[in-house]
Amino acid sequence: MGIVPQLIANSLIAGSIYALLALGFNLIYGTTRFFNLAHGAVAVLGGYAMFYLLKHTNMAVWVSAIIAVIVAGIVGYLLERFIYRPLRNRKASGLVLLIASLGAFTVIQAVIAMIFTSQFQTLSSAQSGLFHIGGAVITDVQLVIMASVLVIMVLLALVLKFTSFGKAVRAIGDDEEVSEIVGINTKKVIARVVFIGSAIAGLAGILIGYDVGLEPTMGLSLLLKGVIASIIGGIGNVYGGVIGGLILGFVENFGIWKISGEWKDAIAFGVLIIFLIWRPQGLFKR
Amino acid sequence: MEYLIHIAILISIYSILGISLDLVLGFTGLLSVTHAAFYGLGAYATAILLTGYGVNFFVAIVLGMVVSGIIALVFGLVLNRFRDDFYALASIGFNTIVFSIFLNWQELTRGPLGIPGIKRPELFGYAFTSNISFLILSLVCAALVYFVSRYVTTSSFGRVLLAIREDEEAISVFGYNTVFYKLAIFVMSAMMASIAGSLFATYITYIDPSSFSIHESIFILAMIIVGGLANHRGAILGAVFVILLPEILRFVGFPTDIAAQMRQLTYGVLLIVFMLYRPKGLVGKYEL
Repeated sequence: MGIVPQLIANSLIAGSIYALLALGFNLIYGTTRFFNLAHGAVAVLGGYAMFYLLKHTNMAVWVSAIIAVIVAGIVGYLLERFIYRPLRNRKASGLVLLIASLGAFTVIQAVIAMIFTSQFQTLSSAQSGLFHIGGAVITDVQLVIMASVLVIMVLLALVLKFTSFGKAVRAIGDDEEVSEIVGINTKKVIARVVFIGSAIAGLAGILIGYDVGLEPTMGLSLLLKGVIASIIGGIGNVYGGVIGGLILGFVENFGIWKISGEWKDAIAFGVLIIFLIWRPQGLFKR
Repeated sequence: MEYLIHIAILISIYSILGISLDLVLGFTGLLSVTHAAFYGLGAYATAILLTGYGVNFFVAIVLGMVVSGIIALVFGLVLNRFRDDFYALASIGFNTIVFSIFLNWQELTRGPLGIPGIKRPELFGYAFTSNISFLILSLVCAALVYFVSRYVTTSSFGRVLLAIREDEEAISVFGYNTVFYKLAIFVMSAMMASIAGSLFATYITYIDPSSFSIHESIFILAMIIVGGLANHRGAILGAVFVILLPEILRFVGFPTDIAAQMRQLTYGVLLIVFMLYRPKGLVGKYEL
């Protein structure tokens, strides 16, 4: 007793953030089939856009949040339009796209650090409300995090299952060329997917900004947590990513119960490598 | 003049890193993003042996290579199970794990404080304290790495590596044990990176974990992609290019914290531009 309920709560919160990152990453990977490493930087960018809006305008929190999410989406779209699409048209290999996205990641991170300095920033100003649930203490922000993961997952599942856009997304994921032949405007669909995925990343960035704060250099570790969550759940599988995120959250938080907290990243990557060796397709196949 | 020598030493250290990574990426086609881990292992092994045990530098450099080689053997065994994207991802994982060991095994590495007061190398009573003598030492090391790499890649061993890069299944059908070849070149490359680490530690005389993070691996990767893959001269050219460029930016007169970001920005832009318009790099012989 004592520490366990809090550990479970912490695992759920961390897991929800990873799940959110994995959702966006998986959506993009599912259609474009490449590791978009810029995804983490886009998430951080969303958080900083929110920070800027809160500091320099008088807009309500929810208006700022919507604008920041859209900004993240637009940046994702611009990357797709001016970097990834030309490369795909040239039939560049996945590695070329991966390296280009690594470049995009570095650029976004450097620009953020130049504008906002490398200082640690936090979005939450006042002491937030605390809830006591079954022996664990949870802040209101953390409740919002968990709720938004649920909402977005359900929304995404509905869109993918029942709309013609969702069907097109799944078709492109199976085979882009055939989809194009049967008359799907693949460029448009992929552009939208990247926009939506990046917007979800932006939301994750905002929530992280409220929960633990922002740093320009945190993008890589966010991205990698998202990727690890995706791989655990089955890469390209939207629901798998959520489960993977939660598993990662639990393993990390219960891992540091016994080992000291600095080893969090090493634990996460240990899990990744074990999964890559024993079950590279993840828990749920696409 | 001192400044030029400083730049030249950095270029020779990074040339070693570039040439050695090129063996794995350019010649064998494995996208390894964990080179900074071996660079760091060499640096830490040397620093700990020199400051803690008073071992001679030239003994430490060899011991560092042994340590890096053994770790690379273990990592290589795991990495050999993957291809392409997943290979890159797992190698990022290994870099992160090694980095958190540097950061968190405080009894051995002093964690984020780093290890200060590392002595310059000594040989038969002669200390390489002046920068010009250190430059000669690092140039000799770089030349050794260059010629060993050239020998390896032009030998029949090197031709098997090229064949693995082009079509691994085809060459294994001919009876070559590709796992052995990939492992051998990976270990060799890690040992070379370790030399660069030993030089770096004794040149700067202070090391801390931040020099060996995943960002350093990306930097080395950017360097050889800009210079051109599967070409030793490309790796050197890349080192010259990527190190001189931020120095030029410094002369333009940005404040220091902005200048550090400009360095990141520059090589990010370089990666994108080269991928879009010249995926071969400046003088590369292989396109990813």
